[in-house]
Amino acid sequence: MEEFDGEPAVTVIPGVNSKKNQMCFDWGPGEMLVCETSFSKKEKSEMVPSCPFIYIIRKDVDVYSQILRKLFNESHGIFLGLQRIDEELTGKSRKSQLVRVSKNYRSVIRACMEEMHQVAIAAKDPASGRQFSSQVSILSAMELIWNLCEILFIEVAPAGHLLLHLLDWVRLHVCEVDSLSADVLGSENPSNHDSFWNLPGNTQTLTELELKWQHWHEECEQYLQDSTFATNPHLESLLKIMLGDEAALLEQKELLSNWYHFLVTRLLYSNPTVKPIDLHYYAQSSLDLFLGGESSPEPLDNILLAAFEFDIHQVIKECSIALSNWWFVAHLTDLLDHCKLLQSHNLYFGSNMREFLLLEYASGLFAHPSLWQLGVDYFDYCPKLGRVSLELHIERIPLNTEQKALKVLRICEQRQMTEQVRSICKILAMKAVRNNRLGSALSWSIRAKDAAFATLVSDRFLRDYCERGCFSDLDLIDNLGPAMMLSDRLTFLGKYREFHRMYGEKRFADAASLLLSLMTSRIAPRSFWMTLLTDALPLLEQKQVIFSAEQTYELMQCLEDLMSRRPVRGESDIQQLQDEDIETTKVEMLRLALARNLARAIIREGSLEGS
Amino acid sequence: MVSVINTVDTSHEDMIHDAQMDYYGTRLATCSSDRSVKIFDVRNGGQILIADLRGHEGPVWQVAWAHPMYGNILASCSYDRKVIIWREENGTWEKSHEHAGHDSSVNSVCWAPHDYGLILACGSSDGAISLLTYTGEGQWEVKKINNAHTIGCNAVSWAPAVVPGSLIDQPSGQKPNYIKRFASGGCDNLIKLWKEEEDGQWKEEQKLEAHSDWVRDVAWAPSIGLPTSTIASCSQDGRVFIWNCDDASGNTWSPKLLHKFNDVVWHVSWSITANILAVSGGDNKVTLWKESVDGQWVCISDVNKGQGSVSASVTEGQQNEQ
Repeated sequence: MEEFDGEPAVTVIPGVNSKKNQMCFDWGPGEMLVCETSFSKKEKSEMVPSCPFIYIIRKDVDVYSQILRKLFNESHGIFLGLQRIDEELTGKSRKSQLVRVSKNYRSVIRACMEEMHQVAIAAKDPASGRQFSSQVSILSAMELIWNLCEILFIEVAPAGHLLLHLLDWVRLHVCEVDSLSADVLGSENPSNHDSFWNLPGNTQTLTELELKWQHWHEECEQYLQDSTFATNPHLESLLKIMLGDEAALLEQKELLSNWYHFLVTRLLYSNPTVKPIDLHYYAQSSLDLFLGGESSPEPLDNILLAAFEFDIHQVIKECSIALSNWWFVAHLTDLLDHCKLLQSHNLYFGSNMREFLLLEYASGLFAHPSLWQLGVDYFDYCPKLGRVSLELHIERIPLNTEQKALKVLRICEQRQMTEQVRSICKILAMKAVRNNRLGSALSWSIRAKDAAFATLVSDRFLRDYCERGCFSDLDLIDNLGPAMMLSDRLTFLGKYREFHRMYGEKRFADAASLLLSLMTSRIAPRSFWMTLLTDALPLLEQKQVIFSAEQTYELMQCLEDLMSRRPVRGESDIQQLQDEDIETTKVEMLRLALARNLARAIIREGSLEGS
Repeated sequence: MVSVINTVDTSHEDMIHDAQMDYYGTRLATCSSDRSVKIFDVRNGGQILIADLRGHEGPVWQVAWAHPMYGNILASCSYDRKVIIWREENGTWEKSHEHAGHDSSVNSVCWAPHDYGLILACGSSDGAISLLTYTGEGQWEVKKINNAHTIGCNAVSWAPAVVPGSLIDQPSGQKPNYIKRFASGGCDNLIKLWKEEEDGQWKEEQKLEAHSDWVRDVAWAPSIGLPTSTIASCSQDGRVFIWNCDDASGNTWSPKLLHKFNDVVWHVSWSITANILAVSGGDNKVTLWKESVDGQWVCISDVNKGQGSVSASVTEGQQNEQ
């Protein structure tokens, strides 16, 4: 049976204290809505003053911090670089790459810390100054933890090197100079110290070092026993410290800023060649000794302890609870996963802890009007649920500007998210239609490959033409290209416009053929035939014969078709029939023109044959 | 960290019954016992009243935003037995349609997935569910399911659109054949699943029985691409159940008890990625739940209204992975 550690966190919404009413709740795309309400539906509400406020609450408010934004942006670049590290790489070269990545992350944290520190100092009012300072300490704690994780899990420093790394680690985080070390270095037996700490690049093995150290340690013990320095209590206490005497060390507590400083100093003098697996023992006792039963460990202490115990999962879990956003745990876990350190637990959400945390982090980024773009890349590297999460989130991005819409579309198209593309284009197309921007609507429906909508917009174009006698957005229609094939109506629109162009260029024969084909091929909607036939009139009235006899017969057939109202297969009657009178007159004119043309055509064709 | 980022003063003169964010999180619609529906622009932490819509003659129980591809459309339902559809035309909000086909209070309205078209389901205390489908040119077609629940229907919720059968692309221009489904909860203690048949009629497909008192709310979880379907239900009996259906045909549903509360549970809703369920209970709290590895539901956060000067900063604990 699962136990969830600790009670769920409680968020109190400041508001009217009313024991009578309940809380109404709803999800927004990125936030939550809460308001006071009464669920029991009565017609008349009781005369209880109700609260007219609606509270919009959100987690991940950190995304709005200006300074942290740099952290998010730069770490995003490091994250991507890490994902692209050649999987083939193994052994030392891989390890050094991973260590470099870790150091990069840390330098980004430090840079952010520095900047926030500057802002904290420059803050005008003390309240915000305090807020920034607390952010600085949080960032500092994050770097402290990350650094330790780097030493223990990524660098995997062996005995000997381990202590050196830990010394650096402590030095980096302790502002004041370690005056004890300074003392020791300047004291008795400096030569022994020098040669001992010449580790980098020296060829001594660990055993040799241990022997040397043992020898030196015994020498010091000898001095103590012989009371060589009995006359000088200061030197004696120094000697005790050098021997790693805990009590002596603790006497200098004010110089030690915290328990891990104490730990490392202690190790320096009592067991400098400490092995990684023995660390936790020293860590626990250092913590206990340092706190001395006066105070209890803080979350940070527990996290560090977990690290010393090499309990990676515990570290991540505690960090998740202690920190206010997912940035830290998401990136650290991802890096540790690349080091192949995480056992795969199958979680419901995401294939493992790494994916779970990345999903949470990326979702948080989508709450921000521009950081969401970073979120896209994170979702890309979540193999199980990344894609569907991206689909759900990307549709909710408000498309305030065309530029933003295009950006979103490009992202969807690159990932073959056809449903989302269609949906977004449809939204934009409809918005365009409502604002009477037919050209825009048409381009969006073409991009969406939405045939039905393209038909709708084409119809609007044609209706506009009938009403005004000219086309809008000629450029677009003229350059449709293969997109014309999307829907029959669109094809008709394109071809019809082509007819007009041909006519304008005086390519009458071509225009005539095209016009006829539009009817005979049934591409033209029946409702438009009258218009087409009327368009044929000027061609029929030309001095030269344009329509051949056969073509004229076909035109006549079309006219009769139309008049008999024979239902043509595949047509849908959209347009209203024209006024009866006007139609009759038109039909008369057409019949006359067709007859005349037929006569002329027959004569012309007959003559040609004859000669 | 969960914090209050905006407080909107709706100036409603009476109890607020529902508040809904639009698709993009830029607009907020609220409704109240004062018979009005209000719309606010809440971008960038602000609050600008866009519309104060009057038309109902009784307390308004729920509002629902349609998908943005249909424009800016909002539906509201009320004690006055009416459902009103409001539309924004040229920058102003107006009543676009009124549906008065019920004999009793209309308790719940829910828009279908946009893939199906513009369809609204309405549940009423007269026990019937009506479905309004927009057919164009301001016309709405009505289908009614009489006696869907004896005594009354309290909630309706649509299933997410899933194209049935193979994943082969439909030829362009043709609409894929969606199987439309929705769930309803009623005073007969039942949750019913409804399916549209080929002839356009709605048929009761399933009865889900587990509650011992009126079902107050049902919520069908958004699809995250897994083959399972999930529904949450809550009831007067204080219980919240999570129903799961594993097979694609949608035949066997099994309930899992999320929690038994000490009071009526009124409202359940899923976050957009379906990973968190919010439960509004009679105990003045909203609790947030997540499913853990072994399938147990774990409460991750308590949102509590009460006295206090500052909202405590809390974090959502990550789910237990052991």
